[in-house]
Amino acid sequence: MTIRNVRDHGQRFRPRMACLKKVESVVLEMQDPKTGVKSQNQRLVITTIPHAVTGEDIVAWIANRFKTNTLEARAVGTMMVAFGYIYPLQDHKRLILKPDTSLYRFQTPYFWPAQQWPVEDTDYAIYLAKRNIRKKGMLELYEQATRGTSASQHALVLPYRLEYAWSTSLYIDAAGKERKKPDRVVFECQERAYWVVHRPPPGTVSAMDYGTDRMVDPNMEEVKKKTSDYYRRIIMFTQQCIMRPRVKSSVSIGALVKYSTTYKEHDPFLHSSLPSNPWLTDDVTYWALNLPNVETPTKMRVERWTFSFGELLTDPRGRADFRLFLKKEFSGENLAFWEACEDLKWGAAETMKEKAQQIYKTFLARGAPRWINIDGKTMEITVKGLSHPHRYVLDAAQTHIYMLMKKDSYGRYLKSPVFKDTQKKAIAPEAHRFSDAQLEQNAKRRRPSLSPIILRQQEEEQKAKLAASGPVDITQLCRFTAPVPHLAVYTGICEATSPGLMTLPNSAACPSPISVAIDSTPASERRFDGNGGPSSSHFPSIAEVSISEEENQLPAPKSRMSLSLTRLLRRGCNAPSVFASLSPKCAVTTGGGKVQPLGVEPLAQPQPRRIANFFQIKVDIPPECRIYPIDSEDEEDDSPDTARGTVKEIICPWETITKQDGAG
Amino acid sequence: MPLSNNKVADDGSSAEPLQDEKAMVDSLIKVVACYRHLASCVGGCTDSSSLRRDLGKTRERAQTLALSCRKHLTTRLRDKTLPDAERKETERLWVSFSSCLELLHADMSKVLSMVKHFSLANNSAMVQTGVQEGSAEVAARALSLPDLQKDAGPQTSSLEGQEQSHLEQEIEQVDRTLDDMESKVNVLRWTVEALGPQYTDPESTDSASLTLLSVDEETTQQICGRSQMFAAMLLCSVAIFALVLSVCVVFLV
Repeated sequence: MTIRNVRDHGQRFRPRMACLKKVESVVLEMQDPKTGVKSQNQRLVITTIPHAVTGEDIVAWIANRFKTNTLEARAVGTMMVAFGYIYPLQDHKRLILKPDTSLYRFQTPYFWPAQQWPVEDTDYAIYLAKRNIRKKGMLELYEQATRGTSASQHALVLPYRLEYAWSTSLYIDAAGKERKKPDRVVFECQERAYWVVHRPPPGTVSAMDYGTDRMVDPNMEEVKKKTSDYYRRIIMFTQQCIMRPRVKSSVSIGALVKYSTTYKEHDPFLHSSLPSNPWLTDDVTYWALNLPNVETPTKMRVERWTFSFGELLTDPRGRADFRLFLKKEFSGENLAFWEACEDLKWGAAETMKEKAQQIYKTFLARGAPRWINIDGKTMEITVKGLSHPHRYVLDAAQTHIYMLMKKDSYGRYLKSPVFKDTQKKAIAPEAHRFSDAQLEQNAKRRRPSLSPIILRQQEEEQKAKLAASGPVDITQLCRFTAPVPHLAVYTGICEATSPGLMTLPNSAACPSPISVAIDSTPASERRFDGNGGPSSSHFPSIAEVSISEEENQLPAPKSRMSLSLTRLLRRGCNAPSVFASLSPKCAVTTGGGKVQPLGVEPLAQPQPRRIANFFQIKVDIPPECRIYPIDSEDEEDDSPDTARGTVKEIICPWETITKQDGAG
Repeated sequence: MPLSNNKVADDGSSAEPLQDEKAMVDSLIKVVACYRHLASCVGGCTDSSSLRRDLGKTRERAQTLALSCRKHLTTRLRDKTLPDAERKETERLWVSFSSCLELLHADMSKVLSMVKHFSLANNSAMVQTGVQEGSAEVAARALSLPDLQKDAGPQTSSLEGQEQSHLEQEIEQVDRTLDDMESKVNVLRWTVEALGPQYTDPESTDSASLTLLSVDEETTQQICGRSQMFAAMLLCSVAIFALVLSVCVVFLV
């Protein structure tokens, strides 16, 4: 027979409080006239009420019963008072057990805390109404507030409760009149104690606090009829349990051990953090030293970067260091691409399409300014996905680049002078040694930190600054391919001279590296294969960064790259611009190996103009810049018609159809 | 006994059944209040077979009252020709009645679990709550009976079992009553306005018991103890006596 509580509609149940039953049994043990707690009489003005117990008696009894010391017994006693099984007669608002002669009494079982029944607001309303009548409005502030709020709440939903509360309280009062005075006093004490426990004044710690409610009633006995459906579900469940992928414990435990040994010194619970843990000493030096974009990181932080590539990337300072290193190696586009993908994944939905397009134009399109080297299959998948962009469309490419960086750049980074320099400069603060007085002073001087809104604004400003300063390692040739500042998380730190580079094309003194490079066609570069050797040592990283497996099959492009490099070096142009010139070519020649086999053929054609137009990376000013996808041969034919100086924009392959009309 | 009858004037013939129903609902609330008082004694040191019996009797009375209330109110609310003011009044009564019934249900469930725990027949330990007298008077008020048999005889476990099952049945019945009420009459509870304290019972402003409590607290908060105060008073009286004497002496001299 299940007896439902009418008011509970099955949505919220209190979690199990298993301690209640145990405390109840202890309380009942205390009642034993022979072995229980000694009781005495409480003397009020006129009457005496029996069954009052002193605090020290309770403590002594508990200590004796459980064979513990008095401190422990006192704690247990306080717990019993906090739950409401015993209530103090004097100082009824403080629910603690005082181990002296202050008097306590046992609560009647009607008012015991129960697992099954939550304490109803209507009862509280009745109680407050009663007290209001008696005291003629002299309720405590919080009680008034509660009455007010509960009244207003109830007024919105349950106005009848109020009226009911009034009338019921009157009748309860009247019914109570029949009892003798001492009993009435006792009843009032009981009720008052009950409500102190279950509706504590704000700011007090209540023993009745629990976390969130449960969806399932923990007290309900699950008496399911074992139908075939029930058994079928049990079978399915166990089958799925068996089919779950399992890891051998040797493997998982090994991983745990490895993790623990690596991180144990960095765990603030296991090791004291230097200089001091702000939560313990109220001294915020630790946080000041470990800000996201601090100049000199601490030694511990730098050590963490060596643990794994993920650690390096997640730490903003580490990422900045890595970015610096990549800049020196001229492979910053990988990190930029990775950051761009993260931005896409975590960004707002409305800008997603534009971001995806921007990323394609900047990183993935053929001849893009910051072309990244991913294998053909991934490129195919990505491009296909980009026609219907969503958050995770660049996931495959991102993972590829991440693995590339991890296997390749990360190792070199750890051996690089950049990192070694950072390591040397890292500070190792000394541990603080505060005296008690100093600790108190620190506690007094606590101030709230910057609001997260402000922090976020600062972050955004920094990002914008970073982006506005342009990309780091290659010249932005076409204005249209320059990343829009608000979307340009990934452009990295800029070179101060990049504006100067923009004017380079016009200056005769240093002709544009791009045009120079374009003039020297791949075909012509092939003639200079032999010269490639010596210069390759200057910028080995350039070659390495764009390395993929297929490049090994094409040594020629490498030497081509380095060849034009030497020539440009002799002209004293900036390295970034050099690389800028090289990367598109590289892109087409090397990356094109797999993606577009046709790509190689046009390079073989000895028509520089043709090829130049094919690449479409013109330095000159006219604002259109277009890079055609490889299979639009007709546009290649058109290109000689266009002025050599036209700068065309990169379009995305899925826009080809629409772009035809709006071209030029 | 019902208090409201003194206050409400006669409105007319149609108001009569309303008064009757009001009286019925009021008496139901009273009985439920008495039941609550009795329930608070269960498991305490005054728990006895007579208490249990009183509980049962009060419960039965509450049930009968509830059934009759429900019948009347349902018929009235289903009556489409009811004027608006009366309908409002009836709805208010209905809402009071339903909440009263819910309270009774909660109390009965509590009593059931307590009775299972504190079985008289098995002589389980009762909590010493400080209550001294039995609650016979409360039951008397509830049942409107001038006298009651004081002794109900010892309880056996079989009797107790019977009582418990009886109680469970009654709880189920109240459950069903509430369900019926919900389904038969559609009263939107949030549209019913509360009237506030209509009844001011002069009896209930008796603050005697409260003063007992407050005095008790004051005595503990006193800075000086009782004996100290006595000594201080003694000193004061002696000082005053001395003063009076000196004044007399001065006068005489």
